Amino acid sequence: MIRLGLRLAVSGGREALVRLVIVAIAVGLGVGLLLAAVAAVNAVNAQNDRYAWLNTGNSNTLGVQVHRQLRPGQEVAGVARAPLWLLFTTDEFDGQTIYRTDVAATGPSSSVPPGIPRDPGAGQYYISPALSALLHAAPAAELADRYPGHQAGLIGQAGLPSPDSLVIVVGRSAAQMAHLPGAAKVTSFNTTPPGSNAGVNQGSGLGAKGLDLVLSVVALALLLPVLIFIGTATRLSAARREQRFAAMRLVGATPRQISLIAAVESTVATAAGVAIGFGLFFVLRVPLAAISFTGQRFFPAELSLSLPDILAVAVGVPAAAAAVARLALRRVNISPLGVTRRVTPAPPRVWRVLPLLAGLADLGFFAVHGEPASNSGQVLSFTTGFALIIIGLVIAGPWLTMAGARVMARQASRPGALIAARRLADDPRAAFRAVSGLVLALFIFTVAAVLIATQDTKPHFSLDGAAANNTLVDQFSNLNVIGTGTQVAVGSAPPPPAAALTRLRQISGVQGILEVRADPGLQVQGIPAGVASCAQLASVPGLGRCPAGAAAAKVPSSLTNTGGNLAGVTWPAAAIPAGRLDSLPLGSLDVSTNGSQPAIEQARTVLENAYPTGTGLPPPQTIGEYTANSNTARNAYQQLADVVILTSLTVAGCTLAVSVAGGLADRKRPFSLLRLTGARLGMLRRVIVLESAVPLLAVAVIAIGTGFGASALYATTEMHLALVVPGAAYFVLTAAGIVLALGLIAATFPLLRRITGPETARSE
Amino acid sequence: MSGGMIIGARDVVKSFGQTPALRGASLEVQQGEIVAVMGPSGSGKSTLLHCLAGILTPDEGEVWFAGQRLDTLTETQRSEVRRDKFGFVFQSGQLVPELTAEENVALPLLLGGTRRAAALAQARDWFGRIGLDGLGNRRSGELSGGQAQRVALARGMVNGPQVLFADEPTGSLDSVSGELVMSLMTRAAREQNTTVILVTHDARVAAYADREVIVRDGTVSSLTGAAPSAGAAPSSRAAR
Repeated sequence: MIRLGLRLAVSGGREALVRLVIVAIAVGLGVGLLLAAVAAVNAVNAQNDRYAWLNTGNSNTLGVQVHRQLRPGQEVAGVARAPLWLLFTTDEFDGQTIYRTDVAATGPSSSVPPGIPRDPGAGQYYISPALSALLHAAPAAELADRYPGHQAGLIGQAGLPSPDSLVIVVGRSAAQMAHLPGAAKVTSFNTTPPGSNAGVNQGSGLGAKGLDLVLSVVALALLLPVLIFIGTATRLSAARREQRFAAMRLVGATPRQISLIAAVESTVATAAGVAIGFGLFFVLRVPLAAISFTGQRFFPAELSLSLPDILAVAVGVPAAAAAVARLALRRVNISPLGVTRRVTPAPPRVWRVLPLLAGLADLGFFAVHGEPASNSGQVLSFTTGFALIIIGLVIAGPWLTMAGARVMARQASRPGALIAARRLADDPRAAFRAVSGLVLALFIFTVAAVLIATQDTKPHFSLDGAAANNTLVDQFSNLNVIGTGTQVAVGSAPPPPAAALTRLRQISGVQGILEVRADPGLQVQGIPAGVASCAQLASVPGLGRCPAGAAAAKVPSSLTNTGGNLAGVTWPAAAIPAGRLDSLPLGSLDVSTNGSQPAIEQARTVLENAYPTGTGLPPPQTIGEYTANSNTARNAYQQLADVVILTSLTVAGCTLAVSVAGGLADRKRPFSLLRLTGARLGMLRRVIVLESAVPLLAVAVIAIGTGFGASALYATTEMHLALVVPGAAYFVLTAAGIVLALGLIAATFPLLRRITGPETARSE
Repeated sequence: MSGGMIIGARDVVKSFGQTPALRGASLEVQQGEIVAVMGPSGSGKSTLLHCLAGILTPDEGEVWFAGQRLDTLTETQRSEVRRDKFGFVFQSGQLVPELTAEENVALPLLLGGTRRAAALAQARDWFGRIGLDGLGNRRSGELSGGQAQRVALARGMVNGPQVLFADEPTGSLDSVSGELVMSLMTRAAREQNTTVILVTHDARVAAYADREVIVRDGTVSSLTGAAPSAGAAPSSRAAR
């Protein structure tokens, strides 16, 4: 029987071969996407894992001590390994973040950062290839002068989250490190990725505590449409196949033999598709790695599949196809008389909406009672809720389709609508299957759009006007909230060395320098303030001005937290003697430039050398850069959402096209006979459109509504924000997606004309 | 059931939902006999044939084949009986379009476990007998209706069945092709001593039978011709 099944599948004539090729290509595309989705999720995880060591020294947040951090001056007791002096800071160049690690080994057994062979000695540094290229391309005064010493080598892949990562490991002496603020001794590097349940994060990596949740939902959102697509492809020409099986049953094939032949045929087509899918994946892996799913490219090797992944797809897809083929036959009464006595499936029952409601109830429960305390609890609760909703939409779809079909049947006055309504009511499952991918894509798109719109309502660190992009701010104080809820500025730096000020003034493009002196307790417009000289303020007009006659003014301690256009602001005068102003420590040093990159980068280099960072505060940066960095995680998620939506929409479109074309091929005979008996092509077109449009629109309304509902509950619970309706772009794109789907259906009209022509009817 | 009977039905009742098709139909057919089952549309003649062939199981009554109850066998057992003991020729050839004519003829043998080469060799023998020499490698779509029906006949006879069931075998053919198919069928049946149960409403086709049975309102209501006694060689009236 296996040989007969192979014979039927492989050399069953032109039509059988075309069917085999179409199924194999469709499964190949599906499997390729499936593998790409699995590999992309692996790569996102791997990329995030590589950020782990860049978070060493930040284990104080969750109490998970995966590495040992020693207090300054503390010696290592009972640990054979010599400690390593370590200081992580971030730097900026042309809007890109540079991860800088200053290290000093205290012995030969000191830990070595991943990706380099040994700790660099004082005056040496290891550097990532991307930063090395940047270093050689940019003038030394703009970048290279920030890093003392010479290049000892390149950092390997093990130490880099992405091929584009800008990372430098600078070697110093232990004595130098001991005087750097924020430097600590460690005996090992953090291995727990940021954003994971036990992980820590101080700004490196995707970095949200819900990374696991996001990846779970992403995996589900990508895999489900792909699996539906594969399932749809393997059902192509099912009606023709069932007729053939009936003929075989007539001459004595047992049901078991038919099942075996069906399984062999499905397995052959699917196995060929799996081979095509693996081929596609490996051919497209390198270009795929260049797509920045999270804002940063992947290493091609990271876009990889584990052995279980490979086995699951290579064995699981053909096995699942064979199982589906057998299951499909059980639902059809293939008697020797044909499939005319098809078992009419029982109509979908109302219980099908229960999983969807359960998903909403899950999210609603946590919205009312608050989210679980632990990260793992939150991940579990939200993953369960979203998974129930996504699966619930697929389960509820046929019932909603049937409800829509019944409404249409009651209203139908034309034969096209009546035929479509009857067919939908007869098998709503098959009708919904064609549009299920689109419905899921709409849900995912809605959730992503609503959550991102809601997230965007959080206060932005934005400063309007030229000052935003032209003024470099080196911030030495941080805003903290004390017990009474009042904000205070904490931290300061010594007054700037005269040599540094001179070098700054010598830079072409630097227009002025503003030293904001720290004065604890001072407030302006309700926020912590420092004091600035009016003479200096006049040299940086973008940051406001003094009242007439004043010698000093109160200006906000943190310009990065001040919104609006400051150019027209008149700050209140500060009653402080000029002599005392110079003796106050520095709260921030703001350098006004003409906005050119050389001016900004040269000024940054001078500031970094004058004030080596390490206090946990950002490097000198413009407010525009500060805003961009604050939104890094949001942008990464937006990027991920875009990729997911685009992929799921593409897959859903393919599913719809294959499904409609397959449905046409299966009904070639009745449609061609209808045409022979005088039915107009337009009527048949209406049937085809209505058969897909009714389930699409009926369930899309529910999917979009559910998307809003689920997002509102998630926003309330997790983001502590009220839902915000996304902008017009969302509605335009949603409408465009639906129109595109209808266009895909319309694209099958030429096929309808061709396969229902009089010639076809005669040969049928 | 009488001793010479190869296949028969006793008081068979069969309904489809609320619609009764057979209401106590009884029929006995002897080995080697060609019986034409006639009757108006909707009378139940095809249903009677399907019950006799084990395609349908009756709601009530008994179906016997070669001394054993057919209606009490499992679906798989009935499939095996159809494969090994019965042959079929229906109105539309019911050929498998993916297979060549030769492979279609060999299909019952392949399903029965005969090796491919032997099955094809056995099938090939039939093409000369049905006047389709050289057409064995064509697929069903490349054959005319009459040719396809002759292939279906060869497929029905290839495993030397004890009973050949033919449901309107000439229904979709012109008179010349129909006569050719009927001649071939009756000749092959006589040669192999195969019983033929032939459903038709065409008197010219029925004339090839030894006996005519009329089915009306789900019962076998009248008979023409006479059931031959066991051992006697029946001969069709058309041949006569």
